[in-house]
Amino acid sequence: MSFDKEMQEALVTFTVESAELLESMESGLMELENIENPEETINAIFRAAHTIKGSSGLFGLDHIVRFTHVVESLLDALRDGKLVVSSDLIAALLPCCDHLNSLIEDVANGNVKENPEVTESGNQLLQVLRPYLETPAAADTNVVEFQEKIESVETIAGNNIESGNWHLFLKFNENCLRDGMDPLAFIRYLTTLGEIVDVTTFSYTMPDAETMDPETSYLAFKVILKSDADKETIEGVFEFVRDGSYINILPLENRIPYYAELIMSLNEDSDQLGALLLKCGIITQRELEDGLKSQQVRADAQQPTLRLGEILVEQQVVQQPLVNAALEKQTQIKDNKARENQSIRVDAERLDKLIDLIGELVISGAGVNLRAPLSGDDILQELTGEVMRLIEEVRDSALQLRMVPIGTTFSRFQRVVRDVSKELGKDIELIISGSDTEVDKAVVEKISDPLMHLVRNSMDHGIENAELRQQRGKPARGTLRLNAYHISGSIVIEVSDDGGGLNRDRILEKAIERGMVSANANLSDQEVFALIFEPGFSTAQQVSNLSGRGVGMDVVKRNVTALRGSIEVTSQIGIGTTLRINLPLTLAIIDGFLVGVDQSTFVIPLDRVVECVELPVDVEHRDYMDLRSEVLPLIRLRPLFNISGVLPRRENVVVVDHGGNKTGFIVDHLLGEFQTVIKPLGKLFAHLQGVAGSTILGNGKVALILDVSTLIESIDRKNTALPRNLTHQST
Amino acid sequence: MSKTILIIDDSASVRQVVNITLKSAGYEVIQAEDGKDALSKLNGQKIHLIISDVNMPNMDGITFVKEAKKLPAYKFTPIIMLTTESQEGKKQEGQAAGAKAWIVKPFQPAQLLGAVSKLILP
Amino acid sequence: MQTLDIEGELTIFTAADQKPQLLAFLESGDELEVNLAGVTEIDSAGLQLLILIKREAAHAGKTLRFVMHSKVVVDILELTKLTTAFGDPVVLAYNEE
Repeated sequence: MSFDKEMQEALVTFTVESAELLESMESGLMELENIENPEETINAIFRAAHTIKGSSGLFGLDHIVRFTHVVESLLDALRDGKLVVSSDLIAALLPCCDHLNSLIEDVANGNVKENPEVTESGNQLLQVLRPYLETPAAADTNVVEFQEKIESVETIAGNNIESGNWHLFLKFNENCLRDGMDPLAFIRYLTTLGEIVDVTTFSYTMPDAETMDPETSYLAFKVILKSDADKETIEGVFEFVRDGSYINILPLENRIPYYAELIMSLNEDSDQLGALLLKCGIITQRELEDGLKSQQVRADAQQPTLRLGEILVEQQVVQQPLVNAALEKQTQIKDNKARENQSIRVDAERLDKLIDLIGELVISGAGVNLRAPLSGDDILQELTGEVMRLIEEVRDSALQLRMVPIGTTFSRFQRVVRDVSKELGKDIELIISGSDTEVDKAVVEKISDPLMHLVRNSMDHGIENAELRQQRGKPARGTLRLNAYHISGSIVIEVSDDGGGLNRDRILEKAIERGMVSANANLSDQEVFALIFEPGFSTAQQVSNLSGRGVGMDVVKRNVTALRGSIEVTSQIGIGTTLRINLPLTLAIIDGFLVGVDQSTFVIPLDRVVECVELPVDVEHRDYMDLRSEVLPLIRLRPLFNISGVLPRRENVVVVDHGGNKTGFIVDHLLGEFQTVIKPLGKLFAHLQGVAGSTILGNGKVALILDVSTLIESIDRKNTALPRNLTHQST
Repeated sequence: MSKTILIIDDSASVRQVVNITLKSAGYEVIQAEDGKDALSKLNGQKIHLIISDVNMPNMDGITFVKEAKKLPAYKFTPIIMLTTESQEGKKQEGQAAGAKAWIVKPFQPAQLLGAVSKLILP
Repeated sequence: MQTLDIEGELTIFTAADQKPQLLAFLESGDELEVNLAGVTEIDSAGLQLLILIKREAAHAGKTLRFVMHSKVVVDILELTKLTTAFGDPVVLAYNEE
């Protein structure tokens, strides 16, 4: 008979048995008031409730357990004489019997799941019982809470430990054999948790033959265990022999760096040493409590106080280097907290408002500066010059306010890398550098998702599995690096792996197959690698197994572009891949290129501008022109923004780059570079396509900032006939 | 040779579930419905482990443990007591009598198996 | 050469009786052999008895060998990695019933 079938039958026994018990409970309750010595009857009623609770627990019928638990507590108090029998009490208990009966009937009818309505009516019955067991109920809650606490600790510890090698020293209490506890049974049980790498059996405490008591346990064992289990679990093996035994479980020496790193990477608020060690699963709840207790004992005995770390090392539950790591982390957390205390939290909106105002101040200042020389007042001119300098300084410091170190974003990846590598069954180490590099808070928030994508991608497709790595003569443990640094007004974030690298030929082959490039195109490595960011390319599912890079890279690229940033890849086959994201330091300021169309002025983000050329006369009304033998699609700003007015003698073309494609904007005048503060468009214009914001020029005029990407895309949609070919790209 | 376990509980369904759980794990199981019944099963046959409830009619678990410890063939047999968290006193009593292992009721079959296999593997 | 056959259990239940037997056997000669083929069950108590007589024999400058280890004995020696420490060739002649 199958296990499930047998359990089904046992469940039937349970319902029959419970029904009988409830019947006897009921009749017991009925006669309780009328008998002289009710002890035995009370006992029987208690046992009935107790049995029902115990059995329902076995079947996982937690709702019955919960209900019966309260009834049982009350009966227990009655049994201990803490309560006296009264008709009120009996009147309160009888409906509980009925309720239990219906719960059991439900189970008998095959409904083992809890029914919230029934539970609710049960709770009302229990409310009536509450007054009778004010104190015991409180005590019970404590017990339950305590257990929950333990459980949560276990899960935390379980999550944090990937694999570990443990060093166990076991000297069981002398009497364990007489108690039926065989040390070898526990060691044998360890094999169910992992692999016993080595055992050394010691018998040095065994006295000479005459005095040796054959029923006393003399043996001690040193065990090296390779196991994924955390310390709590391993210690749990010995729970029944713990008293009087010396049970010492330590991570093996060679795992210390791993744990030290784990401690440092904890995203922990608590600056308590014990909590840090506990969370890493290096010490157990019990060891911590023992340590704290003995600290207290010393304090009570007026002995010189020891720090918890010292006590834990002395008790040999943890090694010194790990305590050192935890102390270091503790200092770090304390420092962070101290730093937090020194800083003021400011609503981001207020900050934006301030920056906005400063932006206007810059503009008005420029206006003043323009007018001042006209007055012919030298002192006024000097003063305005000074004011301008100060205004610019104020603007720079205001922008600084929005800067945060990228480190917090980076450190979140420690966890990600740990979890993902576990998921993938790869051993991958994350090395972070440049954490102090500062960048606009808005940028940090928006770059987190693309970074996550890149990191996962590198781990999944970039870094090979351990076997392959060894074949290639690399260390089995893969390395992933996150790095950040500043370079001329922008921040560079690098995600590099030491994996297999991109396979140029396969990418090119794929791209040609998909018609993204022509077969005879002569592309540089850079250009080929850039293909992985093309929408048509990365949605190809099999690519992830093919070349090592895969799904959704176009999304990353789009996100980065939306931040006015760029992304590039360098890769060496067999050695690794580096993805480099270049982002503006702030989203609030833009390096723009000013262009004029009749009386209007527009700003094109400078980083999108490739070159400027004069519009050839032979273009006339065509939507494209010949740029060094390449077709360049053209967009005329004049009709686009409904500007009339006289055409200048020669129009100009600003060539912009959009995702590797070039497009030309036809404008009247080129007015040069201009750094400006972006003012977002009002809600009224939020739906406008092609305009990213506005700015105010020194002469007080408003200039629209063009959103190159959406502008090109919207024109593209209107005119799909435009030839788009990647081979036009030149870098 | 498989290991034999004696389960003592006044609830037939508990015995049944324990029986199924342990048998499917590869143990032999003998059942008794209270302390008195259990003592009668300690008739010289080899028993590797005893699991006993505390609260039982006729003879409770603590008394049974004390009696079993007097029998040469069973005085070193490991005993697991089934206690409840509210019975801290009983647990102490049981430990003093020689039952050093315990499982807190209510428990799930897997917990039982975990505790049993720490003491004896099938 | 003297030989001692251990039959049945070598456990906490029998250790108290077996200890004097084993020590007496130690006195019976200089070349000793303990036949473990009949051991049906062994635990820590049994193991430490084996360790004891091995040690006592060595102290007295006698040769004591364990032979014909039954499966349960081999299992426990392997678990505790004592096979080499004992230095007796483990002939895999399990005496399983």
